[in-house]
Amino acid sequence: MLKSVNDTISGVPIGAAAKNDRVFVRSKRQALRRTLRAILQVVNYAGLLGLVLVFAMPFGWMLSTSLKTLPETMIFPPEWIPHNFVWQNFADAWNTGPFLSYFVNSVVIAVGILVLQMLTCIPAAYAFARYKFKGSGFLFGIVMVTLMIPGQLIFLPVYLELSAFKLLNTHLGLILPFASSAFGIFLLRQAFKQISEELLEAARLDQAAEWKIILQIMVPMVKPVLVTFALFSFIAHWNDYFWPLVMTTNETARTLPLGIAKIREVEGVATWNILMAGNLILVAPILAVFFLSQRQIIKAFVYNGVK
Amino acid sequence: MAKIELRNISKKFKDDTVIPNLNLTIKDGSFTVLVGPSGCGKSTTLRMVAGLEQQSDGDIWIDDKCVNDTPPGLRDVAMVFQNYALYPTMTVRGNIEFGLKNRGVAKTDRNTLVTDISEIVGLAPYLDKKPQQLSGGQRQRVALARAMVKQPKVFILDEPLSNLDAKLRGQMRTELIQLHKRLGTTFVYVTHDQVEAMSMGDQIVVMNKGVIQQADSPMKLYHDPENLFTAEFIGTPAMNTMSMKDVRGLDVQANGYIASLGFRPEQALLNAGPEVRGHVIEGEIVTRESLGAEQIYQIRTGGGVFFVKTFLAPLATADRVKVTIPYEHLYYFGPGGERLRAGIEAGAKQLVQAGGI
Amino acid sequence: MTLWAKLRPYGMVAPAILVFSLFFIYPIFYMIYLSMFDWNFVSPTKAFVGLQNFQDLLSEEDFRKVLTNTSIYTILTVTLTTGLALLLALWLNKRNIFHGFVQGAIFSPHIISLVSISLLWSWLMDPEYGLLNWVIGLVGFGKLQWLSHPSTALVSLVMVAVWKGVGYNALVFIAGLQSIPADIYEAASLDRSKPWTTFTKLILPMLSPTIFFLVIINMIGSFQVFETIAIMTQGGPINSTNTLVYYIYENGFRFFKIGYASAAGVILLIIVGILTIVYFKLLSNRVHYR
Repeated sequence: MLKSVNDTISGVPIGAAAKNDRVFVRSKRQALRRTLRAILQVVNYAGLLGLVLVFAMPFGWMLSTSLKTLPETMIFPPEWIPHNFVWQNFADAWNTGPFLSYFVNSVVIAVGILVLQMLTCIPAAYAFARYKFKGSGFLFGIVMVTLMIPGQLIFLPVYLELSAFKLLNTHLGLILPFASSAFGIFLLRQAFKQISEELLEAARLDQAAEWKIILQIMVPMVKPVLVTFALFSFIAHWNDYFWPLVMTTNETARTLPLGIAKIREVEGVATWNILMAGNLILVAPILAVFFLSQRQIIKAFVYNGVK
Repeated sequence: MAKIELRNISKKFKDDTVIPNLNLTIKDGSFTVLVGPSGCGKSTTLRMVAGLEQQSDGDIWIDDKCVNDTPPGLRDVAMVFQNYALYPTMTVRGNIEFGLKNRGVAKTDRNTLVTDISEIVGLAPYLDKKPQQLSGGQRQRVALARAMVKQPKVFILDEPLSNLDAKLRGQMRTELIQLHKRLGTTFVYVTHDQVEAMSMGDQIVVMNKGVIQQADSPMKLYHDPENLFTAEFIGTPAMNTMSMKDVRGLDVQANGYIASLGFRPEQALLNAGPEVRGHVIEGEIVTRESLGAEQIYQIRTGGGVFFVKTFLAPLATADRVKVTIPYEHLYYFGPGGERLRAGIEAGAKQLVQAGGI
Repeated sequence: MTLWAKLRPYGMVAPAILVFSLFFIYPIFYMIYLSMFDWNFVSPTKAFVGLQNFQDLLSEEDFRKVLTNTSIYTILTVTLTTGLALLLALWLNKRNIFHGFVQGAIFSPHIISLVSISLLWSWLMDPEYGLLNWVIGLVGFGKLQWLSHPSTALVSLVMVAVWKGVGYNALVFIAGLQSIPADIYEAASLDRSKPWTTFTKLILPMLSPTIFFLVIINMIGSFQVFETIAIMTQGGPINSTNTLVYYIYENGFRFFKIGYASAAGVILLIIVGILTIVYFKLLSNRVHYR
């Protein structure tokens, strides 16, 4: 376009010189563009590196601190690598409370919740996805309300309720309120809905009983979503601090996150080396699992967001 | 093997009447094809036979048993679905024997049956694969095997070839015809493709808007359509029709009122000599499709645009042509689209005797 | 249909509905009931006070402060998290090992316990020996008080929340971006669409369901913030980081003002309820569906 405008304005036929000029300008512009792209590339990678640092440095700092002596933590500007690795910090952290019991409680509660959620969510999700029944709208409304209203909101009445049931400070008391998950039902319902009706019809023509259709065909088909949900649920409850804090008054049913948070009370506010050692005990397993199966875990969590 | 009877069947979805009143007998051992445009109720009819859909009214009989209240699994029908509906979590073997397991067939018997069937459909090497690892044609075979292994009285196929590419579709068509011959079981087949219907069925049921237009053999349908709908639905290209108002130079006497006139593209002659006695239309060739053995011309005339098909004839190059349709190949339809037969032929003959135009 | 087939769906949803009714629906009503009483949890009788608790709450300076804090915290956290995440997503939306690694790195805080994150950041934000003060010192700033000063404490908490949440949000955005079929971009480039136009006219509308989803999730999450506050600031200094859930917790479990705490809970319930309804309305009206 531009070329033709130039030509008509100048009114001169395109000469060889003009052509060369244009070629020259173009190649110069190309060179400029190439350098610009190279610079951008460098900026891009530098930026990415900075980004990684923002997220990785705190963890590195945690590791570094956990191996320091107390005086070493108080050096400013800080030193990254301690002179001697003080492994004793981990033992000290572990001995601030009944950590074995914390650990067992964490496992029992997270696994218990997971198992119960599977048992309650799968059938409910299936019924909501596949059956028409009177009142299903109302009942699903209950699920949606539960999904949208945060649990932190109603801990007080639940506390009183559990206290009336004599379930405070028990595993059961920490498991039962989470025996089903609105989120799980929501996810699984979507998954069940996506399965084509043809498949069910084929199974019916194959004379399969309803329970058999559900267990042998439908549930295996939503396995990826089940794995997703299981990962999600386990990590959420393994990490949970709020409910065990609110629903326990003594050590019998307390979990790891509570134990870690309590180190500060036992050791004093500024013993960062021991605190970070304890923190590492809590974080390391999850981070290790994350880096081993990063892809699945990310998929699990992000998938929830997209569906 | 079984005869299927649909008596006074109607189907409503909420307030929508999909099928008003349908009566149909599907002969024992026949290959019956239900064909019609989408939404004509053919699939619904099929699904009612299978028991996947409950009719709003009327009875369905398979052999001498009324199956209105029989659940699909106990009707002794097997179905091949449009998207195959293979169980993705099971192997090919698992898919084929799932129905047998549910019937409580013993393991040794199951194995023999699965082996036999997989030999027949050529799946033996793939028995331990998952359906996702198979090609479209192979999945189709698994779906067939899964239906066959149950040795049903009735085979129901719902547009089973629509997901295959053209070449494979042709191949599977032949295989299905052979399979039907070999098994001798009643096949009920649904398609929207009239070519598929004509090439496979021995009885074809043409449906439109929930009403059966005609149920006949392919040849009868082609040569002797009951009404305008069937005439325009069957054939490639379909029958040419024009309103009687636009017809010039044809003097027809009939008992009834003739609303439209039709002829098949392959029965019209281009630039025929005066010895052919027929109705003559002049027109202009708009397009020429040459398929080698046959040519299809689109011709514009005063009465509209027509197709004419010729075989093994040199390509007509002229722009303007004379199209002659022998009188005996003209079809007449009444105002409601019904075919008019009686009394008209005589009228046409008289015209010829009178010396024509 | 047999009787059993009719009852089956009810049987299948019953356990879940029972759990929700017992530990969600019933407590909501119980909380509304409690909010109208004066009760210290140990005394055998509850005194009915009507709406007195609400009147007291709304006239109380502290509670208004708590509401303001919660709102500021929520607005800052949600806009920063969602906005930064969208930028990060546009930047990191490539499929190669290096970008994959970066995605993993920014996501990692999401699966770490809030206890760990709170402790870690308390240490990083230590006014005397914290790493953060060293980092800002490198670029020429003086030491900040972070959590120890009323003017910076709330923003510091927002920072931690953004650090924890932005990676997850970015990855959800990336998944959303990748679900937009590539031929749309190709068609746009053939139509000579400028990158900015492509972004505002195509990408943003197609991402809107994802944006709405994230905004809702982030809002609800921010409104119930508790762990970081309980561990890092205990609501201080001088109430500058006291938020609703922490306020309810303190009134209920430290001061044993059950009725009072319940009334605060009801107010939080109303806020969250309104937000949810508003967003669902917006969602059904405006959001472009794929």
